[in-house]
Amino acid sequence: MVDKNSRKSTRNKKSAEEQPEQPQLPKRLTRSAAKKLEESKNKAPQPNEDIEMVVDNQDVEMSQADEVEDEVKKASEADALVLADLKQNFLLLERAVATIESRFTTRVLRTTASIRKRLNVDILVQAIKEAFPRDSADKSRLLSYLSKESGIMEIDPDENARDPASILPEIDLYLHLLVLIFLLDKQEYDKGILLANETIIKIKNTNRRTLDQLSARIYFYYSRVYELTRSLSEIRPILLAAQRTATLRHDDDSQATLINLLLRNYFHYNLYDQADKLVSKATFPETAGNNQQARYMYYLGRIKAIQLDYTLSHTHLLQAIRKAPQNTVTAGFQQAVYKLSIIVQLLMGEIPERSIFRQPVLRKPLIPYLHIVQAVRIGDLANFQETLAKYGNIFRSDKTYTLILRLRHNVIKTGIRMISLSYSRISLRDICLKLHLDSEEDAEYIVAKAIRDGVIDATLDHEKGFMKSKENVDIYSTNEPQIAFHQRISFCLNLHNDSVKAMRFPLNAHRKELASAEALRERERELAQEIAEGEMDEDDDVTDF
Amino acid sequence: MSDNLEQTLQLYAILKKEFESPQPDLQKCGFYLAKLKISLSQMSLLLPEGEIPSPKELLIAREILEIGAYWSVRVKDIPSFERYIAQLHTYYSDYSSSLPPSPQMYPLIGLNLLRLLSQNRIAEFHTALENIEPEQLLENVYIKHPVHLEQCLMEGSYNKVWNSRAEVPAKEYLFFIDILMGTIRNEIASCSEKAYSSLPLADAATLLFFSGLQEVLNFASERGWSVNPTEKKIYFTTKDDNKVEIPSNSIIQHSLNYARELEQIV
Repeated sequence: MVDKNSRKSTRNKKSAEEQPEQPQLPKRLTRSAAKKLEESKNKAPQPNEDIEMVVDNQDVEMSQADEVEDEVKKASEADALVLADLKQNFLLLERAVATIESRFTTRVLRTTASIRKRLNVDILVQAIKEAFPRDSADKSRLLSYLSKESGIMEIDPDENARDPASILPEIDLYLHLLVLIFLLDKQEYDKGILLANETIIKIKNTNRRTLDQLSARIYFYYSRVYELTRSLSEIRPILLAAQRTATLRHDDDSQATLINLLLRNYFHYNLYDQADKLVSKATFPETAGNNQQARYMYYLGRIKAIQLDYTLSHTHLLQAIRKAPQNTVTAGFQQAVYKLSIIVQLLMGEIPERSIFRQPVLRKPLIPYLHIVQAVRIGDLANFQETLAKYGNIFRSDKTYTLILRLRHNVIKTGIRMISLSYSRISLRDICLKLHLDSEEDAEYIVAKAIRDGVIDATLDHEKGFMKSKENVDIYSTNEPQIAFHQRISFCLNLHNDSVKAMRFPLNAHRKELASAEALRERERELAQEIAEGEMDEDDDVTDF
Repeated sequence: MSDNLEQTLQLYAILKKEFESPQPDLQKCGFYLAKLKISLSQMSLLLPEGEIPSPKELLIAREILEIGAYWSVRVKDIPSFERYIAQLHTYYSDYSSSLPPSPQMYPLIGLNLLRLLSQNRIAEFHTALENIEPEQLLENVYIKHPVHLEQCLMEGSYNKVWNSRAEVPAKEYLFFIDILMGTIRNEIASCSEKAYSSLPLADAATLLFFSGLQEVLNFASERGWSVNPTEKKIYFTTKDDNKVEIPSNSIIQHSLNYARELEQIV
């Protein structure tokens, strides 16, 4: 028999929407259907005839109601868990303010990712009600953003709830952040824009160091919500002003985030020269988190690639890959960076390793790039053009199309190199045929340029119309090995220096050491004294002799 | 303000007539342009910011700037052309929503690209290329021309560049292509030095796109090639590759660096 009390309690609970993440039961009853079932069972007395059928029915219905109940229970338990997490975060924020340690705020922000998936309206409403003082204007505004979703909005005079006299700005902004993220996830972009604007105004007015990390996150979502509504250019002046303020206040996190947001803004509209100017004028703070640094390196790499500075671009992109966390969460970022770094490597004249393409996260998106690499490696121009036409749309959406167009020259270069390595002497006509060039004159000019650029080692004979390769030089007698070694050595040394700089010690640990050191010294002194006295005694004894 | 506009409109009408006449007096055009620029800046249209003026004013300002750009090409004043293009850039990108597209936009953008190419500013060339939509890159004849040229330059097929002289989409392009020719002539010369051990004079003339032997001889003496008149050949001075110098400076610096870093390892 199903417990009637438990059923009543399910009815009295606040009407919670069904969680979208709850596991799908094979026979899910909607809320109203379940209610109807309960009411029908409570009201109508079961007739005694067909009792077996009815009992069977009841059993089936009851098991269904059981499942619904279980679901609701699970939902409420999950809710309670998330609420507990939020309260924990509030406590951490308070501690952060009390001790002015940024570690706690970092911890709070780290949990945001997992909380985000489990948020729903009721949790937020509950949290807001408990955190804010009774009649705060902010509270009612925040609740109004959520009010469309929840069913019944009662001003619950809940006596058990904590009623703080005032709310810490940190907690206030943290709740704003959560509501903003929630609206983003629900794709309510217009409300998101309004809320974001209000939050930004609030941030500008307060100047507390403990708010730095929170305000950096809020700027990020502010820009994101504008990006999703395609009105990015509107916020550019605001971001620029905010970046200036952040630099003045030495707010590293906000500074880094804002520079990255501005660069993203410029890239969205293809304004690369403005992005370049920003990079040259604004210094990126060294102490910003690794995530922001990884993004910054990627943007830098892109700018340099467009300006034909491929070596520098490649260095930046490699650093970006290393600084980003290497798990599946950052899959999108890794894909973007790897795509760009493959093209840049090709433009530098190196062939990227095959192992890159085999990584599980990257395998599918990198397939078009694998084909391009193959075409360039063989030096076949026709193949290259074909691949380009086939995957052209993908490249355009990745914004690497213009870079790949530049690869045409590389294909020809590789082709010429292959030919010069394989033939000791070959007529220009044959070169022209092999490389699918347009005419012999073309071939002559191209080969001459290749010789000048140092791609191949050969001489041309104009009258007889052929190219003659020189003998191969032993590479170990040149400077090549030294250059390669130097690259690796400097990379290792840089890595070492960076790791040393990144070491962190707890703040007051050295004081503890000092105390223990003093105690040690005391003991040593005593020991020394005893030994000294002991010796003197012995001496006395000796002298007595 | 409004009579300023009236004056500007009048001046603009005179300028347009003068410029489009078959034998424009470029001096007078220059004079008008200077006056127009002053009046434009008085109406704060030269560098528009703040409130958006009426579309008609914007249109007039844009057309004046376009005529200015073409005029500077005719008088062969490259810095002034650069300035006009920079000013036009705001009109093309930021106000593209409020103004109808200008028919001169793509020719002028193409001209700008060509100018960057001829001055060998390839990085800026590519940055400017990014601003153009991808379809225009392949379709628009004004843009296709510099893009194609750049590819040929990168590959080194200079004869294509020479042939493109015949296919310019607009006659203003010829001016920049001539400058480009000078640049590539130097390029071809340096390529030939490395690639050939000797070259007959007649072939050198064709390679370097010279029309007469005398020009070849002048050029050869400029570059320091030795000409053998009896055989009619040019011999290029080959460098001695056998001696490989030890870059002592860099090796010393590297080694000192390594030593310092190693010592710092605790």
